[in-house]
Amino acid sequence: MPTDTGNATYLDAVGLALDSEMDRDPDVFIIGEDVGQFGGAFKVTKGFLDKFGPRRVVDTPIAETGFTGLAAGAALVGLRPVVEFQFADFISCAFDPIVNVLARHHWRTGDPMPVTMRAPFGGRLRAGPTHSQSVESYFAHVPGLKIVMPGTPQDAAGLLISSIRDDNPTLYLENKYLYRRLKADGPISLDPIPLGVAKVVRQGRDITLVTYSAGVHQGLEIAEELDKDGISVEVVDVRTLVPLDVETIVKSVRKTSRAVVLHEAAKRLGYGAEIAATIQEECFWHLDQPVVRIAAKNTPTPTSPPLEDAVIPQPAEIAETLRKVARA
Amino acid sequence: MATRTSSRNRRKAAPAVGDRDPDLLRRIHRFMVLTRAVEDRMVAMYKGGDLLGSLYTGHWHEAISVGAASALRPDDYLAPIHRDLGAHLWRGMEPWQVMASFMGKATSPTGGRDGTLHYGRLDLNIYNLPSHIPANFPVATGMAFAAKYRGEDRVCLAFCGDGSTSRADFHEALTLASVQKLPNVFFVENNQYAYSTPLRLTSASESFAAKAAAYGMPGVKVDGTDALAVHDATAEAVARARAGEGPSLIEGVTMRMHGHAEHDPADYVLKELYEEYAKKDPVELFENVLLEAGVLDDAAAKQVREDARQYAIAARRKALADPMPDPADIEDGVYAD
Repeated sequence: MPTDTGNATYLDAVGLALDSEMDRDPDVFIIGEDVGQFGGAFKVTKGFLDKFGPRRVVDTPIAETGFTGLAAGAALVGLRPVVEFQFADFISCAFDPIVNVLARHHWRTGDPMPVTMRAPFGGRLRAGPTHSQSVESYFAHVPGLKIVMPGTPQDAAGLLISSIRDDNPTLYLENKYLYRRLKADGPISLDPIPLGVAKVVRQGRDITLVTYSAGVHQGLEIAEELDKDGISVEVVDVRTLVPLDVETIVKSVRKTSRAVVLHEAAKRLGYGAEIAATIQEECFWHLDQPVVRIAAKNTPTPTSPPLEDAVIPQPAEIAETLRKVARA
Repeated sequence: MATRTSSRNRRKAAPAVGDRDPDLLRRIHRFMVLTRAVEDRMVAMYKGGDLLGSLYTGHWHEAISVGAASALRPDDYLAPIHRDLGAHLWRGMEPWQVMASFMGKATSPTGGRDGTLHYGRLDLNIYNLPSHIPANFPVATGMAFAAKYRGEDRVCLAFCGDGSTSRADFHEALTLASVQKLPNVFFVENNQYAYSTPLRLTSASESFAAKAAAYGMPGVKVDGTDALAVHDATAEAVARARAGEGPSLIEGVTMRMHGHAEHDPADYVLKELYEEYAKKDPVELFENVLLEAGVLDDAAAKQVREDARQYAIAARRKALADPMPDPADIEDGVYAD
């Protein structure tokens, strides 16, 4: 079982939050491929089987459609399933139950649908085109789903707790590149962090960088670098894509008058398009420059390091774009 | 059609009904007759322009929908499809609500947000399915999973058609239910056609029941026009599920006597099939069984039919008079609070 040693990784934080919710609420169970004996492909549920038993830690056949639908049925009659997708790439196998069953059932009927879907997503692990995808935009288009993308260990814990307690189907996307690279600087709080509240993670005057997940860390590093050049970057971590905290973004952009949006999903119809359009609608007369998007190229994610690095936004490109927009 | 014997010969229950509770048999008959009456009324409503879109009916599925549902307790879960009006009515769904659903009325179970056959009600333990069946099958495993999780002895009965068996969720649901030993009963309503696609292009198996063996569960094929055969097979599967022995698969063979929906003339169907099944009307067959067994007499049977007709007429009157929904709150409820 995960224990909080004061420097929990992002992965530990997910496990700590799940463990505490399973302790707190007997209706919460975890279901997915290899989550039991094996402890999950990335070991988020290591030790869970011993602690909670096979009734609440449910190993499944390779059947994403089946176990997602199962979670829907269990949620309908009062349980609170947490579904683990081994990789976010495999969530396409469950597209049908997510879109047609989970997302619209409450609106059609008024019945509850408290299902949390956890999925490790994203690139930089040289895992190739079907193990590196960022899937948030497929689902952000679907009314009825909430989409949560924590960028820090503390947010990973607090937002998972809120997702599990939420009565709606929630897609909780874990950045697998951050799993063991990020550590908390102190004990993890197991208080829920409300969905739909963005966080200004760095105050700045000259330009707003709106981002989420791994982009937050890229943004913070580059902001320090640009500070030396006299460019003050405000970094907004949206934390949840749906619901989106428009107010915090708008407040920041009205202050700085310039905005760049960063994510590692492909650019075309990526979530950055939604954020950029929202800023344009809400802040047009405050803007000194067009809103610019930094995102992955419109290709699948390649495996080989030089190829993957050419596709996913790199620090140099982010810094150059921020400089350009800030000084234009 | 079997000849009705005179009332003098109907004193003792015939072996066909055995020692079954006559009240249960009469109730099954009443709901089969009601199902037919409501659907006949709705066909007339479709033709008369009362309904939105098309109308999906379950003519010749009454023995399956009522026969199977009658083997459940009210607290058991049900995940029906569009041929199962009888199961809904058995559970307490009102015919006017079903009509209201096909009219987009505010009084439909979804308040007009969904329509046509999407009219399940969780308060009756009925799942309201989406369009593409058997998406209801994995959901049915979840309801059964919840029952087992809580140590309750409830079961979940889910229906699909012959066409549904080709989809991945059929396979995944049966796999999950069998490895998890879930209290599920899966019922395949084999009505010979998946929209226009005949059985031979849907499956090369000797039967759908035969598929059960591959999942390690019992599979049984019954005459889907025989309400007693359906009821008995379902009762056996339900008892097995309730006892914690896992899921079962039942195939009920019948014929879709109308088009996929009423807009579909179904002229692709072999004439011989219609002729064969015209002689096997499940409602008539069951009525004759009860008449011959003395469980029902001609006057009572006539009264049941007339009551059902009047009930359907009153339902139409109410549904027609019901209000259309107010679009003002259309954005409410996308998310639960």
